[in-house]
Amino acid sequence: MLRILHDTKYDFIKYWKASAIGTIAFIALGIVLLGVHAVRYHGEALNYSVEFTGGTVVRLHFTQPVEAEAVRSAVDAAGFSGSEVTNFGGLTDYMIKSPPAEGAVAAQNADSVGAHIVQTLKERVPGNTATVQSAQSVGPRVGAELKTKALTAILISFAVTLIYLAIRFEWRFGVAAVIATGHDLLTTIAFLAMMRLEISLAVVAALLTVIGYSLNDTIIIFDRVRENLKKQRKESLRDVLNRSINETLPRSVLTHATVLAATLALLIFAGEVIRPFSWIMAFGVFTGTFSSIYVAGPLLLWIEHKWPRSTDGADKGQARALTEERKRERAPAGVR
Amino acid sequence: MPLKWRISIIVALCALSIWALFPRDVTVRTRNAQGVLQNETMRKVPLKKGLDLSGGMYLSLEVDDSKQKIAPSAKAEAIDRALKTVRTRLEGYGTSETVVEKQGSDRIVVSIPGISDEERARKLVEDQAFLEFKITDKTGALERALPKLDQVVKQRGLAAATRAPGDTSNATLSPATKGLQGLLTSADTTKGDSAKKVASAAAKDSANEDSLKLQAGGAFSSLLQAGNMPGEFYVDNAKAPLLEAWLEDSAVAAAIPPGKQLLPSTDSVTLQGRVYRAFYLVDSRPIITGDYLKGAQPNQGMEGTVVEFQLTNEGGRRFRTETGRNIGNYMAIILDGRVMGRPPVIQSAIGTRGQITMGGKSLADAQDLALVLRAGALPVPLRVAESQKIGPTLGQDSIDKGRNASIIAVALVVLIMLVYYRFSGLLAVGGLVLYILYTLAALAGFDAAITMPGIAGFVLSIGIAVDANVLIFERIREEMAHGKTVRTAIDEGFRHAMPAIIDSNVSTMLTAAVLYQYGTGAVRGFAVTLMAGIAASLVTSIFVVRTFFILWLNRSRGTQTLSI
Repeated sequence: MLRILHDTKYDFIKYWKASAIGTIAFIALGIVLLGVHAVRYHGEALNYSVEFTGGTVVRLHFTQPVEAEAVRSAVDAAGFSGSEVTNFGGLTDYMIKSPPAEGAVAAQNADSVGAHIVQTLKERVPGNTATVQSAQSVGPRVGAELKTKALTAILISFAVTLIYLAIRFEWRFGVAAVIATGHDLLTTIAFLAMMRLEISLAVVAALLTVIGYSLNDTIIIFDRVRENLKKQRKESLRDVLNRSINETLPRSVLTHATVLAATLALLIFAGEVIRPFSWIMAFGVFTGTFSSIYVAGPLLLWIEHKWPRSTDGADKGQARALTEERKRERAPAGVR
Repeated sequence: MPLKWRISIIVALCALSIWALFPRDVTVRTRNAQGVLQNETMRKVPLKKGLDLSGGMYLSLEVDDSKQKIAPSAKAEAIDRALKTVRTRLEGYGTSETVVEKQGSDRIVVSIPGISDEERARKLVEDQAFLEFKITDKTGALERALPKLDQVVKQRGLAAATRAPGDTSNATLSPATKGLQGLLTSADTTKGDSAKKVASAAAKDSANEDSLKLQAGGAFSSLLQAGNMPGEFYVDNAKAPLLEAWLEDSAVAAAIPPGKQLLPSTDSVTLQGRVYRAFYLVDSRPIITGDYLKGAQPNQGMEGTVVEFQLTNEGGRRFRTETGRNIGNYMAIILDGRVMGRPPVIQSAIGTRGQITMGGKSLADAQDLALVLRAGALPVPLRVAESQKIGPTLGQDSIDKGRNASIIAVALVVLIMLVYYRFSGLLAVGGLVLYILYTLAALAGFDAAITMPGIAGFVLSIGIAVDANVLIFERIREEMAHGKTVRTAIDEGFRHAMPAIIDSNVSTMLTAAVLYQYGTGAVRGFAVTLMAGIAASLVTSIFVVRTFFILWLNRSRGTQTLSI
C-alpha cells in the first residue's frame, strides 16, 4: 500500500512562535496594503463590486484588440467620467465600472448605459465592433443593505458554529476553533488586499466556504485530541496534540490534495467570471490547514494553561463525551 | 441491516434520482386571465440554467416612495398585491420561464431568461397603469386663475429657472429621462442650449403670432397658448418638462382652480413648423377608473394603433350614466397621470366598450398597454433597485468552461484516489459516481437553477466529498496496523471515523444554511449546491461505500487482504 507521512512524529507545536510571527506579519502586511489602497483608490481600501457599492458595470467584447486608453477616453466622452476601465483575458475584453449617479435612488438602466458606451466607441474606433456581454446596475441603497447582510451572515455563522462546537466538544475546543477560523478570515482579507481581488457576492460565498472548510479541518484534529485524551490520561496535552496532528496527517494531505485539485481546475479552466472565487478557495486550503495546526493547537494549549481542567482530568462536557464513547464501545459491532 | 436491504435502498435511490433528472410533463392548476381555474400541462426540465448561464435579464423592484411617503406596513402589503400584478403582466409577455418572486418583505425580483429588450421589460413592470376617465374643463377656469398662478410662480422663485439653462436641465426630470439621469450629462447641456434658443425664438414669435397667444405677462401664462378645444393648452415641447415640474410644486398645485387638474398629454402637435405639447385641464374626480376594466386588446384601426377595452357590467352601467350626463363634453383618458391622445367628444352615452388611441405608437406598444391594463394597476409605483442583463454568448462561454473544469476536477480526484487507495479507492470512485448522481437529483428536487457559483460549488464539493472516504480509509489502515482482521478493521474504521465525519459535515451544513438564509440569487444557488452535496456525500461515503465493502467481503471468503 502507498503511504505518505505515515507514523510520523513531528513536533508541530514546537514551531508555534515562528508560525505566529509569520502569520502576524502576513496579516500586518495586508493591513498596510489596505492603507495604501485607501490612499491610492480614494478611500476604497477594499475593492467592492457594484453589488455592494451601487453603480453600473458593463462588460464589453471587441472583435479586434483595442488599447485600454482608447476605451477609457471613449467612456469619458460618453459621459461616464470617474469610471474604472479594466481589461481581462487579452485586449478584446473590458470591464467598465461606473459609480452611481449622484443623489440617485433607483438603479440606472444598465442596458442603455452599455448601449451608449458601445455607440460612442463605434464613432471613435471604427471597424471594431463592441458587444455588451453583460450589464449590471445596482441602486446605492441595495448595495449598502447587502454589505450589512454579508457581514451578518459571517457573524451568525460564527455564532452558530461556536454553539455547535460547545455542545459537541467543550468550550475550550470551541473557542480555539472559532479563533482559528477568525484568523483565516483575517489572512484571507490580507490576501484579498494583496491581490486586490474584487469582493463580489460570490467571493463572500467563497469566504464562508473557506471558513467551513478550515473549521472542518480543525474539527478532525480536535476529534482526534478528544479521543486520545480519553485513552491516555498521563500524557501532557501538548504531546496529545502533537500525536493527534501526526495521526491525522495522511488524511489532511490527501483531502487537501483532492480539494486543491478541484480548486486548481476551477482556477485554470473555469474562466474569468469565477476566478476571484477560485483564488479565495485556493488560498483558503492553505490558510485553513495552517490555522488548524498552528493556531487552533497552540491556542488550545494556552486556554488549557490559563483555565485548567478540574483535577480529575475531565470536566462535565468531557465526561459526557466519555460516557457516550463507552456506550458505543459496548454496543455489539456487526459488519452486517 | 441485511445486505439485500442495503442494495435495494441504493438501487431505489438511483432510480429515484434518474427519474428526477429526466424532463417530464407536469400538470398544474392555474387561473387564467379571466380567473377561471384550468389545468395546464407544462414540460418540466430539471436543472434549468440560471440567468448567468442562459443569458437574460434580472430586475429587483422596490416601492418608489420618492413622491409620497408610504408606511412600512403599507409597503409590505402593497408589495404582496404588486407581486400578483407583475406576475400577471409578465405571464402575458409570453416567456414561460419567467420567475417573479418576493424577496424579503419589500422587494420583488423578476428574472426573464433570454429577453433582448431591457427597456420594454422594464416599462412593463414599472408602469403603474392607473387608468382614469375624466371630463375636460369647459368653463375657462384656468384662464381666470392665471394671474394668481403667475404670482405664485414668481413668489416661489420658480421662474428663475427659465433664465438659467443649467437649472432647466436639472428641473426637467421627466419620466423619459429618469432612467438616464446623470449619464447623459453632455447630452443634457446641449438640450439646455437648444431650449434656450427655442425660448428666445418663442419670445420673438409670440410677439407676432397674436392668434396663438393667450395672455402676455407672468412666467406661467407665457408658457401656455390656448388650444383648439375648451380646456386644451399648447406648450412649447421643450418647455413642457419645466411646466410639469412646476405643477408638482405644492403652492402651484394649490393655485389651480379647485376640483381641477392640469395634466400633460402624450401627444404633440405641430403648428407652423413648431412642436407643441398639449396640456388639458380636467376634473379631479374621475367618472370611472381602470378598476372596472374587464379586458383589453390591441388593434390597428383607422386612427392608427388603438387598444380596445371592455368594462365589467357594473362599470358599464356607471359609464353609461356618467357619459349620458356629459354628452357634448370631452372625455380625457388618463394613464398614470398622462392624457392618452386627444380627448374625444362624447356623442351619446357609452356602454361597456371603448378604445384608447395610441397615436403613432407601434403595435408592440399597444400590445404591452393592453397587457398592462388587463393585469390591472400596481397598487404603488415601483422602481428598479437592481438590474442585470447577461448576453447569451457570455452564458455559453461560462457553461463550456464550467463543464471543462468539472471534468478535469473529477478526473484529478479519481486519479488521486485510485493511485493512493488502489482497490478501496475504486470503491470510493464508485461511491463518487453515485454522489454526483444523487447531488444532481437533489438539486433537481430543490428546483434549483444551475448558476456559475453553483457549478463552482459543485466542483469544489467533489473534492470535499471524498474527505469522508479518506477519513474512513485512514482509520481502516490504522486498525489493520494494529493487527486486526480485515473484517474487523473495516467495521472499526467506519465506526471510529463517524464522530469526526458527523461533526465536520454538520458544521459545514450550518454555514451553508446561514448562506442560504442571508444570501441572494446566485449565492443562494451556491448554498443549495453545498447542502445537497453534503447530504449526498454522507449517504454515499457512510452507506454506499460500506455496502460495497460488505459485498466484497462476502465474495472473497477465507483469507483476505484488503488493497487500501
